Amino acid sequence: MEQFKQKFIEEAIDLINDLENALLFIESNPDDKDLLNKIFRIMHSLKGGSDMFGFHKMDKLTHYLETIYDYIRNDKVKLSESILSFSLNTIDHLRKLLDIDNYDDQLEKNHQNIISQVLDIIKEIESEDIAINIDDNELAGNSANIRNKEQLFTYYISFIPEEDIMINGTNPLFLIDEMHTLGKCIAFPRSHKISEIDKFDATKCFTYWDIFLATGEGINTIIDIFIFVDDHCKLEVHKISEHNLLEEEAFTGIIRENIKTNKSINLNDLQELARDLEKIFDTTKKETEIKADKSTDTIISSIRVSSDKIDSLMNLVSELVTTQARLNLLADESMNPKLVTVAEEIQKLSRQLRDTAFSISLLPIESMLTRFKRLVRDLSNEMSKDIVFEAEGTETELDKTIIQSLTDPLLHILRNSIDHGIENKETRLKNKKPEKGLIKLKAFYSGANVHISIIDDGKGIDPEKIKQKAIQNGLINSESNLTDQEILNLVFLPGFSTAESVSSVSGRGVGMDVVKRKISDLRGDVEIESEVGKGTTITIKLPLTLSIIDGLLTEIDKVFYIIPLTVVDKIYAAQHNDLVDTYNNLITLDGEQVPFYYMREEFSIEENNVEVEQIVVVNFENNRIGIAVDKVVGQYQAVLKPLGKHYKNQEFISGASILGDGTVALVMDTNKMIKKLSVD
Amino acid sequence: MGKQILIVDDSESIREVVTFTLENAGHDVTKAIDGKDALSQLNGQEYDLIITDLHMPIMDGIELIREVRATEQYKFIPILFLTTESQAAKKQEAREAGATGWIVKPFVPEKLLAAINKVVR
Repeated sequence: MEQFKQKFIEEAIDLINDLENALLFIESNPDDKDLLNKIFRIMHSLKGGSDMFGFHKMDKLTHYLETIYDYIRNDKVKLSESILSFSLNTIDHLRKLLDIDNYDDQLEKNHQNIISQVLDIIKEIESEDIAINIDDNELAGNSANIRNKEQLFTYYISFIPEEDIMINGTNPLFLIDEMHTLGKCIAFPRSHKISEIDKFDATKCFTYWDIFLATGEGINTIIDIFIFVDDHCKLEVHKISEHNLLEEEAFTGIIRENIKTNKSINLNDLQELARDLEKIFDTTKKETEIKADKSTDTIISSIRVSSDKIDSLMNLVSELVTTQARLNLLADESMNPKLVTVAEEIQKLSRQLRDTAFSISLLPIESMLTRFKRLVRDLSNEMSKDIVFEAEGTETELDKTIIQSLTDPLLHILRNSIDHGIENKETRLKNKKPEKGLIKLKAFYSGANVHISIIDDGKGIDPEKIKQKAIQNGLINSESNLTDQEILNLVFLPGFSTAESVSSVSGRGVGMDVVKRKISDLRGDVEIESEVGKGTTITIKLPLTLSIIDGLLTEIDKVFYIIPLTVVDKIYAAQHNDLVDTYNNLITLDGEQVPFYYMREEFSIEENNVEVEQIVVVNFENNRIGIAVDKVVGQYQAVLKPLGKHYKNQEFISGASILGDGTVALVMDTNKMIKKLSVD
Repeated sequence: MGKQILIVDDSESIREVVTFTLENAGHDVTKAIDGKDALSQLNGQEYDLIITDLHMPIMDGIELIREVRATEQYKFIPILFLTTESQAAKKQEAREAGATGWIVKPFVPEKLLAAINKVVR
């Protein structure tokens, strides 16, 4: 049961997120009927599921919510700001209700509170509409009530079961019973085929039925009743009138007469009779639109898969890519052209498989957006700032693990923008800015990276303030000569918070340093740009995926190292002497002085005796830094494997990869490595 | 009124969910993990309904339905099987084996109870 509950909880979280999203969207599109229907449908699914899995509080609450939105859907009441705000609050409460183990008195109190609020709203709606005056218990039958107001049709059903229909465990009487639940139903059993008692076989069915039914349901609903027996009976369902004829004595009388004399029912006669009777009905009656029965065949366009399965798929694909490299190597060595062809073919396939598997685990940034919208809405209300949130490029996709770890940092940046960035209305007007503040999320691909920028048009960051603060916190001394950009970057240092007062929103001790660290963990980078009075832009750069990287395979003292291609700028050949006989570790490349590290020296390996070595220039915090290696082997697609825990405490290597011939290559984390080397 | 219902499925979660729903609706539920287990559970006991999955190890649903129908005592017992929308051929096979009806997976409690309501009262 627990396992099942977990499934439901996952599903419910998705549903609640969808609901929140739809509600936020409908705020600006209040007339969107499809959206309303969607909201109603989500509430309905939540209600159904929560009932099934024992979330009874949730069941009750969603039931009431559904009632309200049913009224809205049917134009009984307008979707007001107060209902919307209430709904959004309720969503937060629903999330808490999912955490069934942590129910406490406070939650119970909130729950009662929300229930009484929702009942108030329902009562208010119902008092406006006197025609529908129902109490709580009758709310469930609400949709049925509405249906009853609709037109009733008259159907004639001929149900002739096969003799051995009961062999399969069917009891035809139950089917007749079920017909009665649809509306007014008159069923005439025709029993004249039953043989005499001595020849009678009790396991067989000789009776057949003529049934008349007045209901608002469509013909498919009636056929559905017989769905289990459709190939064990002769079934005919005819709509004989658009009106309820069963209340007409003239109609039922004639039928009864027919049955009594054992005459079989003739459909043509019946329809003629119906037509005659219909003339009696008021022709001015408003035509009710008949809802077409929607086909129940829904095409499954997506399925739900547990993320464990995706992870293991990714692992398998990684292994496959590794094995593939080995196969290629062997095929090349074998000099067998046929084998080489096959190996290449498999390489192509495994590459496609890899790309497909990756795309499965990619999620659009859009999936985080609801939380951001909600944060901006709630916070700006709380701080009485008027802020518009725009998002651009939300279709940009990232690995799901990245997305998961990205939400918190982004929320933090947004909080900062709202709290410290955007000024209040008066200040904005005084500074001749638009009254409403603007926060923009912009995402786009840049090579193998994804860039996400949070741009605000607030007051910007004053470098002087940062400097004072940094001096005060002992991060720099007053003599430090830093450029404005370097000063801005100070905000990423641990223990830095510029908030003058600690508000509930930001300044809780976690600052931009946490953001920076979290992004670095994802092998990404954070940059900040700001102009006083104009606004601040914070850009996060992230790799598309974490498990496979394109790298540059290099060799130092017969050991292979992989440098991620994303940081590589250019590769040069360098004279051995230029690398060794240098005072300040600078080398002139393309007429530009580039600081470099001679890796043999850094790794305490003896000098080698070659004339020419190679130097890989990588980007490091807007600078070009050279990394001198013995030689560059070539481009290599590396499947990252974690190092054991013994290697956790070093800054140079972020992982390892197995080459085609089984050799291990170490993946350099150039950012951390250069930082460490520059400190030493 | 509560009925004696036997649920046969190799998936524990499905068994549990069906049991949960049925017990909530006031029925008495017995669980079996495959066809063979189901037959040993039946063993001359009075049941009002059998609900069975089709794909099961050891003895599958089709065979179970045949076995049950071949037993004089259970010749007329209603049997519902669990199926997915896409298993049209399987569905036909099960019906020919003597199943009364089916329940399409995934289902919500209402759907399950509605299907049961068609065959037992």
